[in-house]
Amino acid sequence: MPYTSVKFERREQLVWLALNRPSVGNTINLQLANELSDACREISQADGVRAVIITGAGESFCSGADLNELASLTTNELIQANPASLASRAVASLNCPVIAAINGDALGAGLELALSCDIRIASENARLGFPETSYGLIPGGGGTQRLPRIVGKGKATELILIAEPIDAGEAHRIGLVTKVVPKEKLVEEAEEIAKRLISRAPIAVRYAKEAVNKGMDMTLEQGLRLEADLSFLLQTTEDRAEGIKAFLEKRTAYFEGE
Amino acid sequence: MNAFETIIYEKRDGIAYITLNRPKALNAVNIKMRDELYQVLPAIDDDPEVMLAILKGAGDRGFSAGADVTEFGTVPSQAIGRQVRWERDLWGQFLSVSKPLIVAIHGFALGAGVEMSMCCDIRIAAEDARFGLPEVGIGMVPTAGGSQTMPRLVPLGMALAPILTGEIINAAEALRIGLVHQVVPKADLISTAENVAHKIMSRGQIAVRYAKEAIRRGLDLPLEQGLDMESKLIARVLTTEDAKEGIAAYREGRRPRFTFTN
Repeated sequence: MPYTSVKFERREQLVWLALNRPSVGNTINLQLANELSDACREISQADGVRAVIITGAGESFCSGADLNELASLTTNELIQANPASLASRAVASLNCPVIAAINGDALGAGLELALSCDIRIASENARLGFPETSYGLIPGGGGTQRLPRIVGKGKATELILIAEPIDAGEAHRIGLVTKVVPKEKLVEEAEEIAKRLISRAPIAVRYAKEAVNKGMDMTLEQGLRLEADLSFLLQTTEDRAEGIKAFLEKRTAYFEGE
Repeated sequence: MNAFETIIYEKRDGIAYITLNRPKALNAVNIKMRDELYQVLPAIDDDPEVMLAILKGAGDRGFSAGADVTEFGTVPSQAIGRQVRWERDLWGQFLSVSKPLIVAIHGFALGAGVEMSMCCDIRIAAEDARFGLPEVGIGMVPTAGGSQTMPRLVPLGMALAPILTGEIINAAEALRIGLVHQVVPKADLISTAENVAHKIMSRGQIAVRYAKEAIRRGLDLPLEQGLDMESKLIARVLTTEDAKEGIAAYREGRRPRFTFTN
């Protein structure tokens, strides 16, 4: 399927997804959200994708939702298909690890998209924030729910109520991004992280992601049980046997994902 | 005229100021202060002239030393103490205020003092601020919600040490672990809190309160349910005049003029 609002590029076991509306700061409208959903479905159904990197075409990562379109949607349409919510849910549904390579502004729905990823890195020029209350709005794509889970309720409340963007350095200090690099190094750094993720046992990586995310929604007892169950399941995989063999033979393991 | 003995309640330009006012006792939280706070907090939500509140401590030495130790052991029985705790649920009342609460902390904020600040939304600290939950040192646990509020405000790994050791942390460490939003020279404490207040007051106030509600309720829900709640809230927010004005202002590249104040 041809995409227009996103760029989809498969490079062996890695998929690069770029939001592709650079003339409007890659703002998320329904078209882009739907294409992102299709792209995520395509990734889930494809064989052998082990990592995804999401970035923005041009100078921004994503400067928010398309407010003009948002204002034209009915209340029912919004509850059913709020573009910011569709986009972040699609990315959150991916089983493999997803890296947000934040190459510029990640504001509003753009930051929400990044929060749906597993690892966030940013270029030095990036600004991150939730300006919604400045427009009389609240974040509507998971921002009020995912941000407190990632940086704690304290920082999340400050960012959302004060509604001023923070720079990449501050985002790093509060744990919102894991690394900040010069702009020209961002692609290289994202691929370096992806390469490391791809070198690990893919089922184990997916189960680890599931254990962390699902576990946060459970009581600790239930979470420990989930972790133990996933761990026992992994002991039946070829990859686990290969991992132990490689360790004993002091060589690098080669995982087939089986 | 101030109708209270242990606190001062004032209103200026849309801001309610609540000052803990027992400076000789380092603003220790005694029964009278709990009663008076319980009486005054509903005014923040009820008063249409108030958009948000700033909480602070009177005197030079600190925000609050915590529960008043001179009243320890005065409860007629533990059963009555427990009953009163929930009949006059001050900390629950703090957490249920729908308008933003900013707290300006100088000097000591210990026990119930730091716990009170953790029931607020934004904590601004003076450079001399000292935070501590000393309860374990006297055979107690934090009793004003600290064992629950702190691990939600900052990551669990950051919250455990202060709660388990009871050690006092300084303003810089509080900033590092994310307990406070900003650390400023003591002379600038109130003006900084007011500056943050004015920023929030320039936003859409319905949106600010809905956002606060979404964060507060969301942490008690599984993520999926939280996301559903947020979707419903944003759909409601979008029907407000403020949202229409905010979007129009965005389109026209001007500052919005929000009409809703309460």
